Amino acid sequence: MRNERWNLTGPLLLCWRMTSTIEPPRGALRRPAELARNLDVSGLVDTEGGLVDRAIFTDQRLYRQELRRVFAPSWLFLAHADQFHRPGDFFTTYMGEDPVIVTLDRNRRVRAFLNSCRHRGARVCRADNGTTRNFTCTYHGWSYDLEGKLVSVPNKAGYPGSFDTGEWGLIEVPHVETYRGLIFGTWNPDPVPLRESLGDMAWYMDAMLDHDDEGTVVVGGVHKWVLEGNWKLAAEQFATDWYHVNMSHASALMVLSPTGKGPKDEIVHRTGRQYASPGGHGAGFPVHPKNRFDARTVHQWTDYDALRERLGDARVEGPLTNGHATVFPNFSYLPVNGSIRVWHPKGPDRMEVWAWTIVDKSMPPDVREAQRLYNLRTFGPSGIFEQDDGENWSEVQAVAHGFITNGVPLNYQMGLGSEREDGRHPGATSELYSDAAGRAFYARWRELMNTPAWHEENP
Amino acid sequence: MSTATESRAGTRADRDLHFEVEQFYYEEADLLDAGRYADWLDLLADDLDYWMPTRTNRLRRQQALSVAARGEAAYYDESKESLAWRIRRFDSGMAWAEDPPSRTRHLVTNVMVRHADPAEHPGFTADDLHVRSAFLVYRNRLEREENVFAGSRTDLLRRTGAGLRVARRTILLDQNILLAKNISTFF
Repeated sequence: MRNERWNLTGPLLLCWRMTSTIEPPRGALRRPAELARNLDVSGLVDTEGGLVDRAIFTDQRLYRQELRRVFAPSWLFLAHADQFHRPGDFFTTYMGEDPVIVTLDRNRRVRAFLNSCRHRGARVCRADNGTTRNFTCTYHGWSYDLEGKLVSVPNKAGYPGSFDTGEWGLIEVPHVETYRGLIFGTWNPDPVPLRESLGDMAWYMDAMLDHDDEGTVVVGGVHKWVLEGNWKLAAEQFATDWYHVNMSHASALMVLSPTGKGPKDEIVHRTGRQYASPGGHGAGFPVHPKNRFDARTVHQWTDYDALRERLGDARVEGPLTNGHATVFPNFSYLPVNGSIRVWHPKGPDRMEVWAWTIVDKSMPPDVREAQRLYNLRTFGPSGIFEQDDGENWSEVQAVAHGFITNGVPLNYQMGLGSEREDGRHPGATSELYSDAAGRAFYARWRELMNTPAWHEENP
Repeated sequence: MSTATESRAGTRADRDLHFEVEQFYYEEADLLDAGRYADWLDLLADDLDYWMPTRTNRLRRQQALSVAARGEAAYYDESKESLAWRIRRFDSGMAWAEDPPSRTRHLVTNVMVRHADPAEHPGFTADDLHVRSAFLVYRNRLEREENVFAGSRTDLLRRTGAGLRVARRTILLDQNILLAKNISTFF
């Protein structure tokens, strides 16, 4: 294998569908059903009445059920295609709480593997990213190649004749697909294709990802930080919540305003639309003919006329610049500063934020730098906006375990019944200030939580 | 005169200079812990470069890449102007992440002072100081939130008529995933 010539250049193969899933040998192992008992969540989310039971943010059993039925079958964001240039380039991340390695194999296919040795289960890669020829477990030395094959087992002679290394490769994520540079994977062996699962959401995503033919690239490095809050608090907010901006981010709006004395009325009294997808995705944005990128250098470089030509007036005056969005379940982005992020679940009370900055590949260095710094200073962990978001989620979570508190439903009634086809933006949209996408998010959550996933033997 | 300057370049500073630098750092820490950010800004040079890169876990053979490069992800990548912009937000009365304010304690230790070497740091003279130090910042917030930030700082302190001023500061936080919900203080 080492003598083979690797294909070091050429385009990435960005759509990977395994022809057959290797079922790990189970011998006489049988899991008792009690280990994964499911609860009917119908009574925890009332999307018609706009009410949510706070148990969905705190209960450990519901959380485990989310990992089984929401995360395992859904398309989950893995990485940006620009993170992989040569065979062996790898990036380690999580799908739900499952550690995965995303890598480029010798045929320049983007592939993803469970980052857990098949022998005793340790991670076989403990670096965040880098370049390698194989993944070797530092516990007993089992070693896997870039295709996930088990290629080296110390004291192999000690195993029985029935031991077949072909059965003991890394568990592979069966489907990896890319949408405009964003790589997603799913454990679902028979998923709806990524593009189809995005549906109309793709139209909104394109406002950020498709400014020209060159697409986007990532700024090196990932911001990672912990938040003491349930992952849905953040995912839901990015889907549905422009409402918090004026209050939560009052201090940031003040320093961003030209006078420095307070946000202008037209910022506070913005109108716009909010897209609510049946797939649980959501995007909200102010609508104005003169919507602009905040960072001055980015604004000055942007050719709004060319963008109108390419993306149409509705997108340039809407989701191109300001706004917020979530791709169900836990990928979110902000077009204004190129922030894309995953809310990794870490138990009912904790999440980890992993955030990248993306820029248009066509941007010259000074424009890229301006966007990087603008994102760092607004939505990095020290950013003047991000600081206050973290404060909100930890506040909501900290008190939610009180018995009485936990039993008091939360209000998601803004814009109830306002969803309609507006003739300008695809799908059903509501007002800028609305909980419509939040209700859609929880409707999708309820649907998945009540639907047996492929891995459940007795549906 | 110039030969005297050159002979000092890069050498360890004397006890008086160490004392002066330590007192300067304690004053900085005191201002930050008291929330007197505007006064802290006065201790920074107008051409300040204030950089706190992220750090990644890399294989040992790729350790050189474990600190994000310039232009990559950073917690801070600031000028004096952008720090002032950040600090103005606290004056709005609506910076909720610091309202009520956190209690912080900035401890500075392991201070090693050398005369700056103009060959290494163009624009600086041997009167300026190249200083490495370690910090431990404790943050306690609301009822029971706690964070500990430990790391190192590498500074270039400029000698001015008004005293020392921080002209360059590189902060290395000893964390991979930031173990805090945000960074609402300075180092």
